[in-house]
Amino acid sequence: MTAIPFDPFASGPLLAGAVVATVASLWLLLPNGRDSNSARWLGMLVGVAALAAFILAGRRLGGLGEEAVFLIVSLVAVISAAATIVSRSPVYAAIWFALTLAGVAGVLLVLGAQFLGVATIVVYAGAILVMFLFVLMLAQPAGLAPYDRVSNEPFLSALAGAVLLGVLSLSIGRLTAAPAACCGLPSRGTPVASSPPASADAGTSTSAPDAGAVALAADPLAENHVARLGGELFGRYLVSVEAAGVLLLVALIGAIAVVSRGEAALAGDTTTTRPIADRSSAR
Amino acid sequence: MNTMQSLPLLQNALTVGAILFSLGLVGILTRRNLIVMFLAAEMMLQGISVSLVAWSRYHGDWGGHVLVIFVLTVAACEAAVALVFVLQAFSRTGRLDSAAWQSLREATVGRMIDHELPSIDTLPPRFPTLTPAGILPPADENEPLQRQHV
Repeated sequence: MTAIPFDPFASGPLLAGAVVATVASLWLLLPNGRDSNSARWLGMLVGVAALAAFILAGRRLGGLGEEAVFLIVSLVAVISAAATIVSRSPVYAAIWFALTLAGVAGVLLVLGAQFLGVATIVVYAGAILVMFLFVLMLAQPAGLAPYDRVSNEPFLSALAGAVLLGVLSLSIGRLTAAPAACCGLPSRGTPVASSPPASADAGTSTSAPDAGAVALAADPLAENHVARLGGELFGRYLVSVEAAGVLLLVALIGAIAVVSRGEAALAGDTTTTRPIADRSSAR
Repeated sequence: MNTMQSLPLLQNALTVGAILFSLGLVGILTRRNLIVMFLAAEMMLQGISVSLVAWSRYHGDWGGHVLVIFVLTVAACEAAVALVFVLQAFSRTGRLDSAAWQSLREATVGRMIDHELPSIDTLPPRFPTLTPAGILPPADENEPLQRQHV
C-alpha cells in the first residue's frame, strides 16, 4: 500500500465512472432553455455521485483532522464552482463564485500559504468580485435574460471539460515521489543557475550548517511566513515586482482611456478628444 | 524534510485544482453571458493558483507563492480592462450576450440562431412574507408622510 500509492487498474474504472458522471451531471445542470426541476435534481444526484467517486479516488492524508479540513474546504470550493457555472442568474453566479474563493482560500491555508489565503479573500472577493457585481448591477436587465437560460453546446462542452479532468486526474494519480531521471531538483534556496548538477545527496556539495539554514529559509512552513515571503519577493523577484507594478499602471490608464473615449463615441461626437479637453479646461 | 514532502496532499490539491480548471473551461465554453464567462476564466486562474501552491509546498520553496502573487496582479488588471470592454459592449448592444457580437465571426462559420424559449419562467419568484405582529397603530391623518428634514 505504501510502496505503490496508486493502482491504476483498481482506480481506472472509478475514474471513468467519475468522468461519465461529471459529463451527465453538467449536461443536466447547465441551462438548456427548459427549466425542469426533475432534470435539475437528477443532475445534482449524479454530480454527488461524481464527487463521491473523486473522493474515493483521492489519496488518504495522514491525520484525520487534516483530512477532514481539506475535504470540507475542497468540497466547498468544488460544489460552489459547479454552482457558479450552472446558475441561471449572473448575480447568483457571482455570489457562488465568492463562496468558491472562500473554499480556495481554505485550501491554500491547508497548504500552508497563509498570506495567499488571506490575499485571495481580500483581493478577489473584496475587490475583483465587487467590481463584477457593480458591472452586473449597471448592466443587468430585470429578470432572467433569454441568453442566460440557454447555453452553447452544453453536451460537447461538458464532454471536453470532463475528458480534460480525466486526463489530468490520471496523470496526477501516476505521480511518484521518485526524483525525475533526467534532471535533479534545484537545491532549495540557492539560485538555479548556481546549483550544481544533480548529485546523489545534497549534503556533500555544501557545508552542513549552511545547507540547514538555507533549507530553513526556503521552507514555507517555518515561522515568520509573511516576512520571509516579502524578503523573497523583494529580493530575488524584485524585477518581476517592478514589472507587475508597471502592468498595473498601464491597465489603470488603459481602462480610464477606453471608458472616456467610448463614452464620447457613444454620445455621437466625431472628435473623440473634445470632452477630455473640455473637462480639463473647465477645471 | 521528509514530513514536508507529502505526496498525498500534493495529489489531492492538484486534483482540486484540476477540477476547478475543468469547471472553468466548461463555463467559458458554454455560457453566453459575458460576465459569467469572465467568472469562469477567474475560476481557471484559481485552479492554477491551487496547483502552484501545492507544488510549492511539495518542493519547499517560494517560487509557487511568488507566481501566485503575480497571477493575482494580472487577474486584477485583466478584470479592470475586461470589465471596461464589457460595459462598452453592453452600452452598444443593450445585452450582455456574447452572441450579440456574432457578426465578428469567421465567414465560414454559420450564424447562430436562437430557438424559441418558453416565454416566461416556469419558476415564479417566491418572496418571503412576514407574519403580522402586534396591533396596527391608528393612522394619523395630519401627520406628514415625509419629514421636512432628515
